[in-house]
Amino acid sequence: MRKVKNFNTVIFLQLVSRNIRTDYLENVTGFAWLVLQPLLMLAVYAFVFSTIFQARMPEAEGVGFVPFLAVAFWPWTAFSEAILKASSSITANAALIGKVAFPSELLPLSTVAATFTMHLIGYLAVLLFLFLIGTDLHWLGFLWAIPLLLLLALFAAGLALFASALQVFIRDTAQILPPLMTFWFFTTPILYSSTMLPDQLQAFFRWNPISWFVLRLREAFITGFSGFGLMDLLVPLLSLLTLLAGLGLFRRLRGHFEDFL
Amino acid sequence: MIQPLVQVEGVSKFYPRVHHPWERLRAFAALLRGKEPLHGAEVLRDVSFEVMPGESYGIIGENGAGKSTLLKVLTGVISPSRGSVLVRPRVAALLELGAGFQPDFSGLDNVRMKASLLGMSPTQLAQRMDEILAFADIGEYVHEPVKHYSSGMVVRLGFAVVAASDPELLITDEVLAVGDESFQKKCIQWIESFLQRGNSLLLVSHSMFLVQKLCHRALWLHEGRAHMQGDVFEVTQSYLAWHETRVDRERQHRQNLSGQGGLYRIEQFNICNSVDPSEHVLQQGEAIEISMTLIAPDGRPPVALFGIVRADGTAIYGVASDFDGIVAEQIDESRFRYRIRFTDLPLLPGSYSIRGHAMDPEGLRVCDTSEKRLRVKGQSRELGFVRLQHEWIDGKDADACGMDTVKGSHSD
Repeated sequence: MRKVKNFNTVIFLQLVSRNIRTDYLENVTGFAWLVLQPLLMLAVYAFVFSTIFQARMPEAEGVGFVPFLAVAFWPWTAFSEAILKASSSITANAALIGKVAFPSELLPLSTVAATFTMHLIGYLAVLLFLFLIGTDLHWLGFLWAIPLLLLLALFAAGLALFASALQVFIRDTAQILPPLMTFWFFTTPILYSSTMLPDQLQAFFRWNPISWFVLRLREAFITGFSGFGLMDLLVPLLSLLTLLAGLGLFRRLRGHFEDFL
Repeated sequence: MIQPLVQVEGVSKFYPRVHHPWERLRAFAALLRGKEPLHGAEVLRDVSFEVMPGESYGIIGENGAGKSTLLKVLTGVISPSRGSVLVRPRVAALLELGAGFQPDFSGLDNVRMKASLLGMSPTQLAQRMDEILAFADIGEYVHEPVKHYSSGMVVRLGFAVVAASDPELLITDEVLAVGDESFQKKCIQWIESFLQRGNSLLLVSHSMFLVQKLCHRALWLHEGRAHMQGDVFEVTQSYLAWHETRVDRERQHRQNLSGQGGLYRIEQFNICNSVDPSEHVLQQGEAIEISMTLIAPDGRPPVALFGIVRADGTAIYGVASDFDGIVAEQIDESRFRYRIRFTDLPLLPGSYSIRGHAMDPEGLRVCDTSEKRLRVKGQSRELGFVRLQHEWIDGKDADACGMDTVKGSHSD
């Protein structure tokens, strides 16, 4: 049994490295883009939001809008892209699934792991850059950010398992998912602060688990911890339950993927 | 007690109907409730067999008999709708040698991926890498993306990794047919030494020769059922016999059908002076005369084609009336007669068929066919089916032409 686990780890790592390298394989500069692209994106956001929109945020007086956005934006991108990419990981690897017997849940899981790895490297680059130009971010925020991001990745993995299994049977998933994720993006206080919302909406949006991640990440790096609440219990629980339920559903269905691919 | 390596019990496999998106949805709903979507095509039905250690099994059957599905069930790629499959040893499957190869990645990258799928650890792979590259023998191409490979190179690399994974049971489909002659030989040699080490093989093949050579037992699948299983020679021989009768039935069926399709039909097809209407018997070298009356409703003379084939259908000789510029003898408005004589028929003793075909007046389309059996008697020990004119040259006047060609033919 232990042996089997080891095999799966090897396959998993192979799939993760393959996933990461697929995007950069034929680039001249190769992996430099892992760091360069996020920094370019940061420059674009700085220009758009600070110069064109002149966005201001009451909580972000000390650091400005761009760091306020950046702290939440990269984790969200990792989360959203992980789910979207992983949702088609089974259909895209139909040939592999029909010919080789291996635990196919490794496909969406490795896609999530690869996407998080890539975007978190970018996140790190962006945060370091902000530090270097003298933005007032809390160094100790990293201690909090690591478990938060890990939990976010587990939550993404759970949803990715659902989405990828569903897409085998219902191909429309590929069309529904992107607008759904966009909707989720705008209903999560990433571009704005939840305090800017009317009270009624605020009470409702509070139940969005990603709002909790965003809030805690901003607190960790910028505004400081505001005290425990109910969501500190619910969101980790929800993330783990999603992962377990996703795995359960996936394993129930995976024996039939071949019939529907 | 020795336990079987593979235990297959009452395995059935249905493919659900999934052409329409709503059917997919319904099948999906059934699966969510924990039910099997049973409607649809039944590919395997109640198949059971066991493979004992050191024993090799051949799986034979026509196209579409369910062989590939059975292999997929055995390797765990698909789960059976009913029944159970137990596979104990370390299995390597050669269902499709390039499976899991990503075209954009280099051969080396793909070897790493495939090795991990086959359960090799990175250290094991590092130890065996030289062995793999030597077996694949594709040189510097391993650093190239696989999309630039020829299909033969993909097969070489795929087989090399599988060979290095040191399986106890090898499950293989008709994949070896892809490589070139020398690589095929190498693969067969590897499989033979693999079997000598006490391992087992599960082989799907249409080559009865290969099955008999490599397997002890065989399973004959017919329309998804285990039609026969047991000793490899018994099963393969019954399978071949069954095929022959089926080909024969088809031929008869075709004969019954003929005559309905075309405008020009055969009214009468006779071997002159024949005693037995079902089979004409003649001595080697005797002459034979055939006459055929054709019906042409439009009054235009049809072309006649005569042919001689061996009992299994191999063509020996054929000639049409328009090749020789022969015009039919008109009997009345719509009936025409052709007569042909083969003098000194050079057929060697054996069973043959003589066929007559009615063709359209342009000599393009066969409209009707008729056939008579022919048996040539004789004491000849010559080989083949036609006696070729020849003479033996006296040793004394041998000229230079003999010697050189003998030397040349030994070079390969």
